[in-house]
Amino acid sequence: MSKDWPPEFRSRRAIFSAVGGLVFVGLSTRLAELQLFRSAEFREEAEEVQIRLDPAPAPRGVIYDRTGKILAGSKRNFYVTIRPERAASTQAIEATLERLSEIVPISDGRRKSILRDAASKAGFLDILVADDLTWEQFSQVNVLAPELDNSDFLAPVNAEVGELRSYPFLGAFYHTVGYVQKANERDIERVIEEELKLSSIPKDSPDAAAIARQARRLYKHPQMRVGKQGLEYYAETALKGTAGATRAKFNASGRLIAKLDNEGYKPKPGQNQVLTLDAHLQTYAINRFGGEAGSAVMIDVATGEVVMMVSTPSPDPNEFVSGISQTSYDALRNDEKNPLYHKAYDGTYPPGSTFKTIVAAAALESGAMSPDERIRCSGKAWYYTRYYNCWRPQGHGMMNMHDGLKHSCDCYFYACAQRTGIEAIADMAKRFGLGHRYELGITGGRSGIVGNNDWKMKTYNERWYDGDTISAGIGQGYMTASPFQLAVMCARIAGGGTTPPPRLVASGVSVPDPTVIDLGDLKPETLDIVRGGMHGVTSEAGGTAYYYLNGGQVDPNGELPAPYTGCNMAGKSGTAQVRVITAAERDSRGRAISNDKLPWKLRDHAWFIAFAPYDKPRYAVSVLLEHGVSGSGAAAPIARDLLHEALKYDTGAKSPFVPKSGEVASSTPPTEAT
Amino acid sequence: MTRRGDLISRLASLHWFLLLTVLVLATMGVAVLFSAGWSPFDPTTNGARINADLAINHGVRFLLFLMIALAAALVPLRIWASLAFPAYFIGVILLIGVDLFGVVVKGERWLQLGPIRIQPSELMKLAVPLALARYYHQMWEARRRGFWIHVWALAIVMIPTVLVLRQPDLGTALMILGTGCAVIFFAGINLYVVAGVIALLIASAPLVYFFGLHDYQRERVNTMFNPEADPLGTGYQLQQALIAIGSGGAGGKGYMEGSQKQLDYIPEQHTDFIFTIIAEEFGFAGSMTVLVIWALVLVQGLSIASRSASRFGALAAAGFTSTLFLYVGINIGMVIGLLPVVGIPLPLISYGGTVMMTVMIGFGLLMAIHIDRDEQMALRGIL
Repeated sequence: MSKDWPPEFRSRRAIFSAVGGLVFVGLSTRLAELQLFRSAEFREEAEEVQIRLDPAPAPRGVIYDRTGKILAGSKRNFYVTIRPERAASTQAIEATLERLSEIVPISDGRRKSILRDAASKAGFLDILVADDLTWEQFSQVNVLAPELDNSDFLAPVNAEVGELRSYPFLGAFYHTVGYVQKANERDIERVIEEELKLSSIPKDSPDAAAIARQARRLYKHPQMRVGKQGLEYYAETALKGTAGATRAKFNASGRLIAKLDNEGYKPKPGQNQVLTLDAHLQTYAINRFGGEAGSAVMIDVATGEVVMMVSTPSPDPNEFVSGISQTSYDALRNDEKNPLYHKAYDGTYPPGSTFKTIVAAAALESGAMSPDERIRCSGKAWYYTRYYNCWRPQGHGMMNMHDGLKHSCDCYFYACAQRTGIEAIADMAKRFGLGHRYELGITGGRSGIVGNNDWKMKTYNERWYDGDTISAGIGQGYMTASPFQLAVMCARIAGGGTTPPPRLVASGVSVPDPTVIDLGDLKPETLDIVRGGMHGVTSEAGGTAYYYLNGGQVDPNGELPAPYTGCNMAGKSGTAQVRVITAAERDSRGRAISNDKLPWKLRDHAWFIAFAPYDKPRYAVSVLLEHGVSGSGAAAPIARDLLHEALKYDTGAKSPFVPKSGEVASSTPPTEAT
Repeated sequence: MTRRGDLISRLASLHWFLLLTVLVLATMGVAVLFSAGWSPFDPTTNGARINADLAINHGVRFLLFLMIALAAALVPLRIWASLAFPAYFIGVILLIGVDLFGVVVKGERWLQLGPIRIQPSELMKLAVPLALARYYHQMWEARRRGFWIHVWALAIVMIPTVLVLRQPDLGTALMILGTGCAVIFFAGINLYVVAGVIALLIASAPLVYFFGLHDYQRERVNTMFNPEADPLGTGYQLQQALIAIGSGGAGGKGYMEGSQKQLDYIPEQHTDFIFTIIAEEFGFAGSMTVLVIWALVLVQGLSIASRSASRFGALAAAGFTSTLFLYVGINIGMVIGLLPVVGIPLPLISYGGTVMMTVMIGFGLLMAIHIDRDEQMALRGIL
């Protein structure tokens, strides 16, 4: 054999063999790692992949009113889902939806979101196509399902029975209880964040990643909903409970092979919630407003419990659960009566003359004004640079504090405010509950504005002018407050320091509100004088609401039980100006143009705050009638009727309902989040 | 030395050990494909599913190509040598044809010639080492040495590589390039040049990664380093493959008992990922057996190369051995997560006709070189 020609061949073969040997060793080492050293780990994983654990939502916690009526429960729900197999193409899913839409209507938006979900195939979970099906639709889908199952060109669908959140009182609790909907990315992010906070797991730990993954899968479940508003939102982690799991065998394309038992994976129901609200009062109030835009909040003076909190008009939350149609939603959004807006808690308006009670209290407490001192009202008064008008152009004559409140004399309170000074007034306003966002356990809530020098410097970078104080004296200018805050204010006037801070959740999630300011100590006669003035408003001839309330009678027909039979109320009206009245708008006698001649949107808001019975206050209420013009004429009768209804049943006197199941934890936050 | 001219004596001097290892590997392929076709539960029939088609096709195909391989072994090496350049030129022309008139089928371009659809890139896997071997053989006879002959050799490699890359078929292009470079390496290019090229490749890897790859290719590279990151996307296949292999343990779950296979978790399991079934059902013992038998085949290939008296035979054998080495190394490396997922099957075991054809003809060539190992050919011109 002549081997002279390849001089390098031997060395090349050696190098090649060495490289080959190295590769051989490398492959063997890796195989040994996988099959010998990490085998147990992979065996476990192999087990998991075959048997898929899909999250099963826990029954959502029930929300009750104080009397035990269900405000948010569940109803039977027929729904249809589509299964995003790995094999299923977009065309297959589209074709399947086409077939399904012959049975149940599927909106274009829904169709798009289904295709998007199918494209992402998140966890191969079934995707909701439609729910709340009728029995007929449900059985038709059931007939169709096997045909789809066996077709290569269509995706398999499932018709199933589950539960859907339902709100039996329709619109009565839209703003407080809120509603649930399918979760979007933002919702899921929020829940994950909250769960991590509750269980104090660091954000970037593997545990946190596992929690996030689980939550993501859970909220993609076709039956899972998330609280979008109100208590449903605030108490989401408590209400949703602890999800269980269903076990089933799947093949790689996602087709179900067999369902397995789910022993040990049973869900734990969510925590029930009880509100201090009374469903009867709530419904009564909504009907009493009769479609007008407005708000009413009533507080039990003895306990601080909010027994009524309505904002009208109020949409039906049931419409939102399965996804409200764009046209319906647009109609709600464009309604000039603002049904989606929680006027009671989010709406802040100038408190108008109701604020005179605070100015009076501040003047008395600071000693700037003695109750008996008389101030002359000639219809207008000059301060600093201009005239300030009284609402009564011809003037009220000589006014003491009682008369000032009773007649709501502006000139009297201009003088009060000027002497007391804005800082004392602002302090007093805060002690009575203004300028603070109360945490009630629902979404929204605004603090309103209690103006003073600091606030104005911060907000406008401008000092507080003396003239600002004069306007503040009658609750105009910078001051704003929500109907809820005025109800708190009224409850504190009625109950003094004995009225606890307001509460909306009787049992369920904890609702801490650490920054709430108490009323604190007042001179004993201060509140008597203010209450007396408010009594004058309703019950003494000449009081601004006397004529409209038939002398402040809550119970003209003697229908109320003892000790409320024939009781009287006390109150204070107010007007929140919607527009600035310019000099040009006043007529020759200095009167503003009558509201009747203005378009509805520009008319003044009407306020009335009241409590009853006058001598031994039980309930305090604030009523706002948007563009209602006259506090005494329009809002006061509503306040009277609401007080009458509350006293008639007096449900506030009984302590709130306690649900039977042991799920209600007294006041600790839910920690069983997983 | 006797010339083994007649058929009988050629048959008698066949490389029986190589033939045996090939037979063992192909038999394993049939057995494993039978297992792949069996599933204890099939939702369409609610019963077990037995699909022996894969195994039968594979066995029949192997026997058919075994005949062709034996026939090829009987072809004198001189004829192989004269086919080398024509095969190469026809291959290049067909590749250009694909580039210009190709029809797209399953993401790659094929050449439609009347009723037949052909994929000339497969032919190039053999034509390139043959052409290179002949080229070097003639250079040697002409006493031409030095750096520049290797540059021309590289051109012979790069033309089909670039054409295949345009199809786009990264896997085959890499195979052709790798095989060609191996032949150049065996032909005696300066080791400093080899070291320089390797260093350059390593240095330019990040550049290739960021600018030279398609998005899906980059994805696959990422997946290799972190298969868990996206278990339902690109990492899915690999993740499932690792689970199947790892769960096999030392001794495996037993023939036909692989549960990952049974639930159809691994796509392409009967082709590129066939190794996962062996690893799952026969464990570490089974996977090492495959590895060792393949190592034996490669050692045989190398020894045939070094015993060949002609430069053409030595380089062609070394080239084909390198092809096999690349096939096996890349396939197993990719299945066990050491290399990015590229579509390279495991020869003789994976289901599929193209690779079976290439590899079996290659074995025929290898055996022809073995039979004519003592022949020193005087080659001139093109044929």
